[in-house]
Amino acid sequence: MPDVPHNGGYMVAAYIVTAVILLGYAISLYRRTGKP
Amino acid sequence: MSLARKGRLITLIGLGLLALVYVRALAFTPVERLQGPAQKIYYLHVPAAIWAEMAMFLVGLAGIFYLFLKDPRLDRFAEASAEAGTVFASIVLTTGPIWGKPIWGTWWTWDARLTSTLFLFFLYIGYLLLRGAIDDASLRARYAAVLGICGMCLVPFIHLSVYLFRTLHPQPIVLKPSAPSLPGSMLVTLLVSFGVFTLLYVGFVMQRYALALEREEQERSAHA
Repeated sequence: MPDVPHNGGYMVAAYIVTAVILLGYAISLYRRTGKP
Repeated sequence: MSLARKGRLITLIGLGLLALVYVRALAFTPVERLQGPAQKIYYLHVPAAIWAEMAMFLVGLAGIFYLFLKDPRLDRFAEASAEAGTVFASIVLTTGPIWGKPIWGTWWTWDARLTSTLFLFFLYIGYLLLRGAIDDASLRARYAAVLGICGMCLVPFIHLSVYLFRTLHPQPIVLKPSAPSLPGSMLVTLLVSFGVFTLLYVGFVMQRYALALEREEQERSAHA
């Protein structure tokens, strides 16, 4: 049976990128809608 | 409670639940034997892809109704949906290559699915640029509606591209005519993630809609 590939770094990178994009957009919306 | 506040609350709940999706996907969902941990990118990539396509579909649908009804609420919704769709398309186009490198051995290939998704992203950018370039509100809404309808026509092509062409991209394992070919625990993680992305889409659109409304009121008071 083949070994499970060791590519966890790619998974971590994708999860970080997704969090950064979503958080970044949420903060951008918060700042834009929060203006008086 | 104002629309912007409601949107913020929904977004906040969505982000909190996203953290739980991360925990479930990373710690409580089994590792796929052949692809390894990189397969878990799927739980973010697929819901983002569905909402990137759905958002454009809704932009087009709102565009069709706008051309008949001339209701500014439809135009505001289309604008909000397009901006949220751009965010989800960005996630698709970054997580996809990150998955592709360890699995395919390349970050990118010009196959039908990848190329049409990139085209969708450019359509979103073009749509937002078009809106920013036209001052007259009714003209802007009309032109944007037409471009949105063109974008909507692209969506079925993106979904079917893996059947129509020989592509490297895997065929759908959930959104297909037969039953999903994903083990139970993986399917649950995917569905929960899809629910959270849906919540985020709703929260983003509500806030962006409120922002469009706010800007219109400011423009109106500036002209008065």
